[in-house]
Amino acid sequence: MIETRNVTVRFGGLTAVNDVSIKLLPNKINSLIGPNGAGKTTFFNAISGVIEPDEGEIIFKGEHIEKKKGYQICAAGISRTYQIINLFWQMSVIENVMVGMTTKLKSNFWQSLFSTKFEKNEEKEAYEKAMEYLRFVGLEDYAHARSSSLSYGNQRLLEIVRAMASGAELLLLDEPAAGMNSTEKRELDVLLERILDRGITILLVEHDMKLVMNVSDYIFVMYHGALLAEGVPEEIQANPEVIEAYLGGDE
Amino acid sequence: MNSIKNKNIPKYLIYTVLILALPFLIQMISGTTYLVMILCISLLYMIAVTGLDLLFGYSGQISMGHAAFFTIGAYTTGLLNHYFDMPLWLTIPIGCILPTIIGTILAIPASKLKFHFLSLATIAFGEITYYFLYTSPGGFTFDFKGIGAKPISFLGQNYIKWYFFLLVITIIVFVFKTYLVNSKVGRNFIAIRENTHAADGMGINVRKYKVIAFTVSAFLTGLAGSIYVHFIQYISPESAQQKQSVLFLTMLLFGGTTSIPGTIIGVLFIEFLLELIRPLQEYQMLIYGIMLLVVVVALPGGIYGGFKDLAAKIRGRKKAGTDKTDGKANAG
Repeated sequence: MIETRNVTVRFGGLTAVNDVSIKLLPNKINSLIGPNGAGKTTFFNAISGVIEPDEGEIIFKGEHIEKKKGYQICAAGISRTYQIINLFWQMSVIENVMVGMTTKLKSNFWQSLFSTKFEKNEEKEAYEKAMEYLRFVGLEDYAHARSSSLSYGNQRLLEIVRAMASGAELLLLDEPAAGMNSTEKRELDVLLERILDRGITILLVEHDMKLVMNVSDYIFVMYHGALLAEGVPEEIQANPEVIEAYLGGDE
Repeated sequence: MNSIKNKNIPKYLIYTVLILALPFLIQMISGTTYLVMILCISLLYMIAVTGLDLLFGYSGQISMGHAAFFTIGAYTTGLLNHYFDMPLWLTIPIGCILPTIIGTILAIPASKLKFHFLSLATIAFGEITYYFLYTSPGGFTFDFKGIGAKPISFLGQNYIKWYFFLLVITIIVFVFKTYLVNSKVGRNFIAIRENTHAADGMGINVRKYKVIAFTVSAFLTGLAGSIYVHFIQYISPESAQQKQSVLFLTMLLFGGTTSIPGTIIGVLFIEFLLELIRPLQEYQMLIYGIMLLVVVVALPGGIYGGFKDLAAKIRGRKKAGTDKTDGKANAG
């Protein structure tokens, strides 16, 4: 599926991600945890092409992607959500999903300009498909509402489904439960399982330990930019180094 | 669905009759053809402002030098006709293509720039164009004197005929704009305006689409310019000045971005207002400035946007108004 080899990211003198090599379990929920500032989001950004790693390799389905740009990585089959919600606020909910499908749409500029039959059919199919995606997360009633009018929890759901709409095989979720209430968190738990049913692999960054320990099949722990431990939830919970990292503080 | 459509037919019929009768009405009421000429210029400006709308309104890239494309289009067809005596059916298309090519070349580096720097770069582009035309190598552009141009033969100086000719072109432009903005391309433009970072993450090649927006925009503005020169039969470097670019931007913002009615209202309002205050011409820039300020502060959606919000409020949906301002803050 996806594998990173010795990925390092530096910002000036600071090494944000230091020599991280991981291999995700396909079609499982893989989680990435660690105290604040451990480099989780930077690592995410490196995988999704927001920043280019200074060293190391990222291999997705046998292909090197560490040099690719964000939009190329999305087309390759990796899509993400953001820690701070990054929706297209003035667009309707369904339009947000349709933007997510852009890499799957074949119409070129001229077909769009002349609104050819092919383009019209494709748009119609895209609309239907976007509606299906909205049904998948239960947002179909809001399809034509402005995305900024959604509740916080629903905005998170829309981000997830927008990312799925690209046909992604790997979904990177950056703190999807942040700001959700306990009911929404329980629903998220179920939703993640349903996403797995579609054959998608998930990499989750999350602070809510209860959620992480509940849903994860495999956990990676980062600390000060480096990989501290990896294993199934039980192993991680029993790992003294991890406990030290979380409770011992930085002293 | 069907009944709604049927209800709209009389409305559209009234619009059509009004648009067709407009030049005759104006001529009858004012007693001269002068205002018909202003109407024709307005149609040309609508084409240019449509170009600016695709760039600024939809894809969120500012251009403070759009008049340069307009002027380059005008000079291209005028000079080709003057020097080589090429027929207008050939020079006008070239007058559209040259600004398009220049727009693309400009956009390739400019698409990397953030908002403020892009506005500086486009101001510089406008100034370069102005000074190039003003003191050209060997004086081939006739420098500050400007150049005269032939009218389009079958239209001559008959403003009523011109009106219908320009009306057809403007409608064609509006139709294609509607197709484009309702397609994947238009959606990607808006996505880039709303959140460049997320647009990239969702698989949009941001630079490619920014270049497309610039190219289409330059084409439309160049088209307007290359017809304008044969309508007015004269063009001078002054058309490339900052003032003209600000005029386009004022029209766009005043009417309201991302809509065709906004473009129409903005152009007509400003163009006829300028006619009314012609004695105060030296204060033109001041007036643009005040109008821009009013729009930015009080009416972020322009006249048309404000009108839509008002209509929504009357229908008891107050939310539309607040959403609009929210979104604008995000877009900036």
